[in-house]
Amino acid sequence: MSRPEGIEFVDDDASRMHYGRDWTRFWTPAPHSIAFPRSTEEVVALVAWARDEGRALVPSGGRTGLSGGAVAADGEVVVAFDRMRDVLELDPAEPSIRVQAGVAVGEVQRRAAEAGFDYPVDWSAADSSQVGGSVATNAGGIRVLRYGMTRDWVRGLTVVTGRGEVLALNRGLIKNNAGLDLRHLMIGSEGILGLITEVTLGLTDAPPERSVLLLAFSGLDAVMPAFQALRAGLSLSAFEFFDAASVQAVAAAGDRTFPLEAIAPFHAVVEFDDPDGSAQDAALAVFEQLVDAGRVVDGLVSQSGSQADELWHWREAISESITPRTPYKNDVSVRVSRVPAFLEALDELVGRQYPDFEVVWFGHIGDGNLHMNVLRPEAWSVEDFREACNRLTPAVFELVGRFGGSLSAEHGVGLLKRDYLASIKSADEIALMRAIKQVFDPDGILNPGKLLTVER
Amino acid sequence: MKILVPIKRVVDYNVRVRVKSDGSGVETEGVKMSINPFDEIALEEALRIKEAGKAEEVIVCSIGSKDCQQQLRTGLAMGADRALHVLTDDEVQPLAAARALLKLVEKEDPKIVFLGKQAIDDDCNQTGQMLAALWQRPQATFASKVDLDGEIATVTREVDAGLETLEVDLPAVLTSDLRLNEPRFVKLPDIMKAKRKPLEEIALAELGVDAGPALETTAFEPPPKRAGGRMLESVQELVDELKNKGLL
Ligand SMILES: Cc1cc2nc3c(=O)[nH]c(=O)nc-3n(C[C@H](O)[C@H](O)[C@H](O)COP(=O)(O)OP(=O)(O)OC[C@H]3O[C@@H](n4cnc5c(N)ncnc54)[C@H](O)[C@@H]3O)c2cc1C
Ligand SMILES: Cc1cc2nc3c(=O)[nH]c(=O)nc-3n(C[C@H](O)[C@H](O)[C@H](O)COP(=O)(O)OP(=O)(O)OC[C@H]3O[C@@H](n4cnc5c(N)ncnc54)[C@H](O)[C@@H]3O)c2cc1C
Repeated sequence: MSRPEGIEFVDDDASRMHYGRDWTRFWTPAPHSIAFPRSTEEVVALVAWARDEGRALVPSGGRTGLSGGAVAADGEVVVAFDRMRDVLELDPAEPSIRVQAGVAVGEVQRRAAEAGFDYPVDWSAADSSQVGGSVATNAGGIRVLRYGMTRDWVRGLTVVTGRGEVLALNRGLIKNNAGLDLRHLMIGSEGILGLITEVTLGLTDAPPERSVLLLAFSGLDAVMPAFQALRAGLSLSAFEFFDAASVQAVAAAGDRTFPLEAIAPFHAVVEFDDPDGSAQDAALAVFEQLVDAGRVVDGLVSQSGSQADELWHWREAISESITPRTPYKNDVSVRVSRVPAFLEALDELVGRQYPDFEVVWFGHIGDGNLHMNVLRPEAWSVEDFREACNRLTPAVFELVGRFGGSLSAEHGVGLLKRDYLASIKSADEIALMRAIKQVFDPDGILNPGKLLTVER
Repeated sequence: MKILVPIKRVVDYNVRVRVKSDGSGVETEGVKMSINPFDEIALEEALRIKEAGKAEEVIVCSIGSKDCQQQLRTGLAMGADRALHVLTDDEVQPLAAARALLKLVEKEDPKIVFLGKQAIDDDCNQTGQMLAALWQRPQATFASKVDLDGEIATVTREVDAGLETLEVDLPAVLTSDLRLNEPRFVKLPDIMKAKRKPLEEIALAELGVDAGPALETTAFEPPPKRAGGRMLESVQELVDELKNKGLL
């Protein structure tokens, strides 16, 4: 096979294994090889070559994706952005930062902080995720409540389409109402419309000092009223929820003691602006009101940055601490007001079909986003467990559809949820998505089979 | 028996400290301030001693501006019984602090004064030792374990050579090291209770302490920036570079 000149390729087994998968472990990596372009021009050359050779390309960022979007299991060429890690410009007037697609999101956060600004989209894998990947998945995270998703921060994109065109979309402008904004079509497109090579992100002011509450709720029905009361009384930047099983998992994994005296059925880590320690009085007032109403049974507030980190740990470490149990993960969302009824219905559904399964609930509940994690019972093999979960999936997504929700709040569709898209999108909408795919990638070389099935 | 725990208001451990643009000091405007972590550990230990029934009262005290009362209130919310605030807007160096603390010791007659081994702002590591000298009482510094038995404290200390165990007669000065304990979190209802606990203000001048600085700081500057990293193309190049620098 010929290869485009000057572009670095590798195809040893270890690299193919490493670059052929994301954070999921459901598919066996089998890419043909991995290409490491250094520039937009080299990406254009790769696309031209792939079209000539009829090779599929799988764009690959930090491979922390949770939906199999960056999986290459079918002889594709992985396009890794690891050699495109330059920070090109930080403009303090706008403020904004322009980077190559392979720069880590954590690096953007650090550069912004050094310059006295903030890139506020944040989640526990931000140090490993790339800016290109975060745009391609429209990543959310822990402060969506205050700052929105990646989409809200993208000011400009350079994209190479499946036809080899180079598009400079929105070019960093804050205001630009000149016609259709293709930038927003690219955000969250999971690599099926174009390869993102350069990104301009808006930045915001450095955040004020913040404090963190850890609250214990009397029951599920107390969580949403508490959220409303806290939101009214404080300037919230995060409201993250987790259940008793989450606490037990983190405690067991890290050999830590939960700082509250008792583990309640549901907890939240609540972060709020507290510039000079004075917001703690407001927090206290809301807390008392919630205790009087019987909604909150106990609570702590951080008195230092290290205590804030320690409280955050109980939310942020959940995902990793349950990894050994090969959880069946769901990342679903409904309208905020419907969360409690939805959670109850979902819990009931799983409990009815598989009474032995242990379910861990956590999530960005202030955004209507729940992560349901079903743990594999120790006695079950991974295969049997996966099969049981697959039988569960249609019912789960049917329920999501009934509640008017989404089967992917922030992790994308990839391979994992592709076949269920119809439970939340109409046939018309999916047909239009296919038509758009056809326009940007007529030969079907970009991430085929992800998000949409391949039409033969 | 009473335990007196001096606590200092310092820039939070997690804050990246910045030097003021005119080089006159460290930026504290709009910066998160907390109890010096070692003092927090000392307070935690004092509270545990009280909870074990070996002390009747834990008193927190602080020397500094009005803002220190925020940290004193935190100390009260953690469980201290009352607070003393020695009010001054001037810089307080270790010797002045030790002299002021001696006055509080004379007033309160504690069996133990439990300090942090050092404050994370100036890292002096002097106040406890100076207080012991002025008070003419034993000291056991860098404590990683404390046992009380009547009038004797058995203290395990972290020293360069390993661990050392001392017995000191009370009253005495103890200072805490990092591994002594893990300080508790503040419960929200306890913040409310803390508002009703007594906090006594005393002007530094009233104590008759000579607080004049013994040391003068002439300038502050940030440490030199690290030179940026450089990407090399091959292992061979790396080996050559290391050889050039005499590292291989
Ligand atoms: C512990 C953990 C916690 C997480 N928490 C969150 C969370 O709170 N919120 C959240 O939203 N996500 C979360 N994620 C998921 C994941 O981190 C995000 O989806 C992230 O944005 C993926 O970025 P990546 O660079 O790793 O992308 P990858 O996994 O490499 O790729 C993701 C998708 O983007 C495509 N892609 C990658 N780079 C490009 C490019 N340059 N051009 C075009 N397409 C490209 C890939 O083909 C793939 O379809 C979490 C993941 C982990 C492991
Ligand atoms: C004094 C004055 C000051 C203004 N200041 C600003 C300003 O500061 N910022 C700003 O952004 N604009 C400003 N505008 C412009 C204007 O007010 C905005 O563009 C406004 O959003 C237009 O709304 P409209 O309902 O009047 O739309 P129309 O003028 O009726 O229509 C605008 C366009 O939208 C289409 N359209 C209308 N309704 C629909 C529909 N339901 N579905 C699909 N397409 C539809 C129309 O076909 C047309 O193309 C100003 C206008 C005036 C007169």
